[in-house]
Amino acid sequence: MKKKIWLKAITRCLILVISISLLSAISGSAQPRPVNYQLEVELLPLTAILLAKETIIWTNLSQDYISDMHFHLYWNAFKNELSTLAREARREKYIKRYQAKEDEWGWIKITSMTTADGQDLLPLAAFISPDEPPNPHDQTVMRVPLPEPLAPGQSIKINIEFQARVPKNGLRTGYYKDGFFISQWFPKPGVYEESKGWNCHEYHLNSEFFADFGDFEVKIKVPSEFVVGACGEEIEKSEDRSAGKTTYTYVQENIHDFAWTASPRFIKVERWFKGEQEVTPEEYEQLASLLGVDVLDIKLPDVRMILLIEKQHRNQIERHFRALKAALKYYGLWYGPYPYRTITMVDPPFRTGSGGMEYPTLFTAGTSVLLEKDVLTPEGVIIHEFGHNYWYGLVANNEFEEAWLDEGINTYSTGKVSAVAYGPGRIPARFNGLPLSRLFKLPAVYDWQLGRVISSPVAKLDPIVTPSWKFYNSGGYSLNVYYRAATSLFTLERLLGEKTWARIMRTYHQRYRFKHPRTEDFIQVVNEVSGQDLNWFFQEFFYQAKDFDYAISYVETRIKPQKYQGIFDDLPARTSKQSGEAINQASVQKKDGTKQKIYDTTITLRRYGDIKLGSGYKLKLMVEFEDGSLEWKEWDGQSRWVRFYFEKPTRVRKAVLDPEGLWLVDANLSNNSYARKGPGTKIMDVTTGLLWIAQNLIITIFGWL
Amino acid sequence: MAVMPFIKSGFSQAISKFKLSVYLWLIVIVVSLIMVLPVNFQIRTALGHLSWPENSLMPFELNLVEIFIANQNLLGSYSLFLLVTLLFSAGLVVFLSGGLFGQMINSGDIVSFPNFLAAGCRYFGRFLLSLVLFIPFLMVFFLIFKLLSAPLHLWSAQAVSEWPVILAGWLSFVLLALLWPAFKVILDLVRIFMVAESKKVTVAYASALKFLGRHFFQMWGLYLLVSLAVVIISAVWLAIYRLLSPAQPGSLIVLIIAGQAYVLFRLLARQVVIGVEYNYFSMRKES
Repeated sequence: MKKKIWLKAITRCLILVISISLLSAISGSAQPRPVNYQLEVELLPLTAILLAKETIIWTNLSQDYISDMHFHLYWNAFKNELSTLAREARREKYIKRYQAKEDEWGWIKITSMTTADGQDLLPLAAFISPDEPPNPHDQTVMRVPLPEPLAPGQSIKINIEFQARVPKNGLRTGYYKDGFFISQWFPKPGVYEESKGWNCHEYHLNSEFFADFGDFEVKIKVPSEFVVGACGEEIEKSEDRSAGKTTYTYVQENIHDFAWTASPRFIKVERWFKGEQEVTPEEYEQLASLLGVDVLDIKLPDVRMILLIEKQHRNQIERHFRALKAALKYYGLWYGPYPYRTITMVDPPFRTGSGGMEYPTLFTAGTSVLLEKDVLTPEGVIIHEFGHNYWYGLVANNEFEEAWLDEGINTYSTGKVSAVAYGPGRIPARFNGLPLSRLFKLPAVYDWQLGRVISSPVAKLDPIVTPSWKFYNSGGYSLNVYYRAATSLFTLERLLGEKTWARIMRTYHQRYRFKHPRTEDFIQVVNEVSGQDLNWFFQEFFYQAKDFDYAISYVETRIKPQKYQGIFDDLPARTSKQSGEAINQASVQKKDGTKQKIYDTTITLRRYGDIKLGSGYKLKLMVEFEDGSLEWKEWDGQSRWVRFYFEKPTRVRKAVLDPEGLWLVDANLSNNSYARKGPGTKIMDVTTGLLWIAQNLIITIFGWL
Repeated sequence: MAVMPFIKSGFSQAISKFKLSVYLWLIVIVVSLIMVLPVNFQIRTALGHLSWPENSLMPFELNLVEIFIANQNLLGSYSLFLLVTLLFSAGLVVFLSGGLFGQMINSGDIVSFPNFLAAGCRYFGRFLLSLVLFIPFLMVFFLIFKLLSAPLHLWSAQAVSEWPVILAGWLSFVLLALLWPAFKVILDLVRIFMVAESKKVTVAYASALKFLGRHFFQMWGLYLLVSLAVVIISAVWLAIYRLLSPAQPGSLIVLIIAGQAYVLFRLLARQVVIGVEYNYFSMRKES
């Protein structure tokens, strides 16, 4: 019996060592990591309480002497109505979900915090409010003075015991009955920035997260009937039958957050992503040529895909895996291979408010029971949230301060992957939970088409590069950092060309993997790889709240008069005769001898927006005449308007500003073209549709009254 | 109870006075056009010369969204205009109800547009008052609906999957659809009493409630039966309409005609309901 226990213990140790070594080889970067976590947590589902122990080893990688540490205690954002998050939620009156009942508030309480040699750190610890405006009632950031300053290169080991209550109506985390999604749940140090100090913001309504890369070993104890999923790899599972509880052990190196989920209603399904099967040799060749790299550099590794899906959605298992495979393939090919061995995809437990969120090696999707095939909502969410493993997970920007760097770039990437893997997706229309596609269908659109339209109203509200909590409101935040940023990137791609852009994105990703880049780092890569100075583009579109709208304002065509009225005697005699002939020549003779009219056409272009084109850039105007001839004009777009004149024996059939569609960021593309014969049938169709709706509305009132 | 005679005679009465539906259709289309024309004007102004689809970077629907966003400043004034028009429509439909009940029930009246308008004028005041007196019934209606749908809401609130939420939502909807006619027949019957027996509003209410005390389920059933027929025919119409939908030359004209035919059908359905209710009332009022 004893021998068996010893063997088991040795085997476990070996598994742990081998796993960590393998993970290091695959996911590890050579850079030292400042933090190492060991966590043990038990979930008490009836009270939604977590009982946990945490050991942190934190190393000072800066040249500063550090006298304190700042910790995030995110769940205190759900503790009362005075937290910064609650105040911000209340300001946006439409948000009701964070209002909790008496027994539903979430919180985290540190019961013990000591150094390795037993010094108690709690007596001097205090909550602070580092952000503007200060909120003395917020308890999401705790400052802990250290017994003595931490010298460069020195480490400190801190043992923490804490209890936490899962918020019922949490943001990105929560529970409903026996379904739990647990994220931002443990005390986590902020990021120490050399000579600047701690970067540790309060938990805001519109902000996400920022943390250092570290290694995690987490033991999760739950009732045995629960199915568990977590970041990293499960290396051990031990069941205590007498207590009816099971403890799962997960490990993962080089990640900066750890989330997990538990619910008895999950079905767990596993598949493998096989790089050799998913990507053809031709695809490898084409991409290697586009990126200017060797095929071997872009080969994709195999990845274990784990899906935890609610039983009610079991018929969508293959849909989920197909989308994840597409994401693994294209993100891997374009930006670099996925560096971890597993990816866990969670169909979020019902009513936990945790759908559509990203964590390293784990993300939550989101679907519904009745879903049409051509509505790609779950696919879009899966691709996007997996994509965050690249933009946020690996290239780990500060989401508090520059959310666009992950949300904007990832929305752009999601649009690209969705377009390649699926094509346009239909906009869903539902009533009372039922899809209405049998009654009528909304159009199928690409992400970038919808994104550019919906984001245009916020252009003048806030710059894209704005700290998340300083946006005008949630709409301004999300439309700017997700869609306006993505639209600007799609525009850059079109301006610079597919090849240059692909190399820019790959270079940026490779250079800043496992690092914390800022906007200027991205701009620097764009300028470097493109060989252009595109600072003006970022200055105008990212750092300022301005709009961009060029338009064909007016097209006027007139038959040139037979004779002009007035006195022309100031002209020299010879010229006068010639000019007089020219002036009076309102028609030209055709080959067959018949006369053809001459048309004077004036096209006025206007700049309605405040953003001007950068130096060296020009807008093209294509004018097509009814005889099939084409004329091209260019405008540098600096003035508020410009006028072009044409004198031809034919009228304008159509004129298009920016006919190549480069400037997707233009706030209004509907004013970029002119056609003599517009979409009359379409307009009639819309009008009669509206008329029909109005008639039925009145008849319904008629029936009631 | 044999329901077919009532439905048959109500239907015959409605068909024989089909002109009434045409009058209603004309008035409704004029009001609807007033509501829609400003939007049409805006669309024409913004997109009338759009080069589409050749140079379009998006589906036409997104062009509409784009110009909606670009003209957000007009939204407030247009909403106000719509609200005023809808309020006017509410008053108008009371007037039209007067015309419809008057011409449907008074067999002496020849169906003509002037007579229709005259009936509208004649009954407008009393019909409006009947509507005001109907407010307490509406409150009872909402109270009963809330009580009956409470278990559904509870079921939905306790659900651990989406299905109960969806089912509860639809069952509430069905409940609403079943319950509403039970109250609507009161108002209809009051108006029948006012027109057929020239009773004052309060007396008509008393008579209607007395009558319904004996015949409530029959009248409710008749209303539901006609409503069910309307739903079925609407579904068939929708299926046919969807077959017509693909853009083909001339299909727009066909779609417009089909759409207007449906509008006429709905107006005729209202006539049929009144016809059926009146026939039932006529045959049972002495019993």
